[in-house]
Amino acid sequence: MSAEPAVVIQELTKDFELGLRGTRLRAVDHLSLRIAAGQIFGLLGPNGSGKSTTVKLVLDLLSATSGECRVFGVPSGCMESRRSTAYLPESPCFHRYLTGRELVGLHGGLCGLRGAPLKARVDEMLSWAGLAEAASRRVGTYSKGMLQRIGLAQALVHDPRLVILDEPTAGMDPAGVADITALILRLKAEGRTVIIVSHLLEQVEEVCDRVAILDHGRLVREGTPAELAGSASRQALVVDPLNPEQLTELSAWLEARGRSLLSVGPFRSGMDRSFLLTPPAGHAAKYKP
Amino acid sequence: MNAWQFSPRRVGLIARVTFLEARRQRLLPLLMLGAAGLELGAQMLEEFNFGLSELKFIADLGQGVAAFFGSILAIVASAQLFFREIDERSALTLLAKPVRRSEYLAGKFFGIMAVISLFCVLMTALIIVMLWSRETALMHGRPELWERGRHLNYAAILAVGFAHWLGLAVLVAFTLLIASFAQSSLFTVGVSLGVLVICQLQFLAQEAYAKAGTLGGRWVAGFIALLFPNFQVFNLGDVTGVEGEIGVMLLARVTGYALFYVGVAGMLAVFCFKRREI
Ligand SMILES: Nc1ncnc2c1ncn2[C@@H]1O[C@H](COP(=O)(O)OP(=O)(O)OP(=O)(O)O)[C@@H](O)[C@H]1O
Ligand SMILES: [Mg+2]
Repeated sequence: MSAEPAVVIQELTKDFELGLRGTRLRAVDHLSLRIAAGQIFGLLGPNGSGKSTTVKLVLDLLSATSGECRVFGVPSGCMESRRSTAYLPESPCFHRYLTGRELVGLHGGLCGLRGAPLKARVDEMLSWAGLAEAASRRVGTYSKGMLQRIGLAQALVHDPRLVILDEPTAGMDPAGVADITALILRLKAEGRTVIIVSHLLEQVEEVCDRVAILDHGRLVREGTPAELAGSASRQALVVDPLNPEQLTELSAWLEARGRSLLSVGPFRSGMDRSFLLTPPAGHAAKYKP
Repeated sequence: MNAWQFSPRRVGLIARVTFLEARRQRLLPLLMLGAAGLELGAQMLEEFNFGLSELKFIADLGQGVAAFFGSILAIVASAQLFFREIDERSALTLLAKPVRRSEYLAGKFFGIMAVISLFCVLMTALIIVMLWSRETALMHGRPELWERGRHLNYAAILAVGFAHWLGLAVLVAFTLLIASFAQSSLFTVGVSLGVLVICQLQFLAQEAYAKAGTLGGRWVAGFIALLFPNFQVFNLGDVTGVEGEIGVMLLARVTGYALFYVGVAGMLAVFCFKRREI
């Protein structure tokens, strides 16, 4: 079963009609991709490179100009294909007047759940997303991070095999990003396939198994994050400060072993990480369970 | 496989959300405004003490107000409730679920019709209560005129209300059809109002061409008659007055006429909506 790829995209092309003159904009250009089941796959590229459009084509929210895509072997034009997919749109907007519980319940109902199992599943999803306390508040009153998480909860309510997340961490603080990253890794551990759309390689390289980079709707590169970042053949050491003589010694030591010292500089802790290591008081209460 | 056929349950869920949205937009209190206006008008009539013709006035006024407010409501509510989800992009999450576009549209239709039905029931009930209490008062004032019981045929008034409701269902279906390819709710409202006017007035053109038109003119008129439903069909109040009878056959014909147009408009709307890029 896992031999069957989760998504197969073949020569997919999408033209948007612009205005009345018949001018067209090619958002996706003869794109072919194969996403194996059980992977976390990163879809990367600059703004306007056609990532969101590709994802919407996979979900049949847009219809392709030419080419085809299949989800677990089912053409994405069939409603069947959406049975096994979950979708978190970029800057998600939900029915603001529903409470969190009603929203997840609505989507669960649309996926065919009903009665007691639906209720149980909704509660399960709400606590999974860490929203059990806010469940009876209107979605319109949620913060950005909470919206992102309720979005995940509604997307995953029907236990899908393929999860598509369009910029799931946009506009979130480092602690929120860490939360989402943890959730994504949990999805993979549960055996699901995850597609993450992003425009930053750094953001996804830690979680993704494979990455494709789009530009102007075309596939530019595909591979593991390490291959794409060129880091497969590199390694970083963090050491106590060395003086110039010691550095010369070190590089001689390396050269004797056929290696070379490529870069030396001051140590910069990522802002993200230091923020996480020492969360300001008050903030910790908000995010840590 | 079977579980993924057209599902009334999914339609019901979407209808419910649509109705909730209408409630949140405070469309319903707005309707009460129409009812309040009607009540006020009837109070003013009472001062003149017209007798039996006063009851006719009340009925005409009530049905007129219901028709006017009902049509506005049908168009505005349909356009609003359709575009709200598209503009807010919450339609995106709904349609990313295993939901057919046809189910989505049907859900919208029934959700809007729930609002419309509430309005029709309220207005008809109000009209009947007003007529009944006024007739009772008049009966006590001049018993000699009411020797043979009540003059008003309340069943016929109900039937008028029902036919009116059918007309609004057709209007909602047409508005949704326009919305299914339109890009904005303002455009939808504008075009729908135009369609409403054509539907209301086309019978005049039919009559004129039937009498004096050239063959070509009659063809055009006939074509328009097929394309746009004749809304006079749903206006049974004019046909019968308040004392007349409304036959079951007539009602069945009107129902059939409405179902036909709702069905055709619905199918076209689904056809357009399937191609729509969300
Ligand atoms: N509905 C539409 N009509 C016309 N053009 C569109 C439409 N949607 C997207 N486009 C165009 O298609 C191109 C690709 O858009 P898309 O949203 O897929 O980019 P993206 O890679 O997701 O970018 P971002 O990182 O900014 O989200 C853009 O040039 C955009 O202007
Ligand atoms: Mg995008």
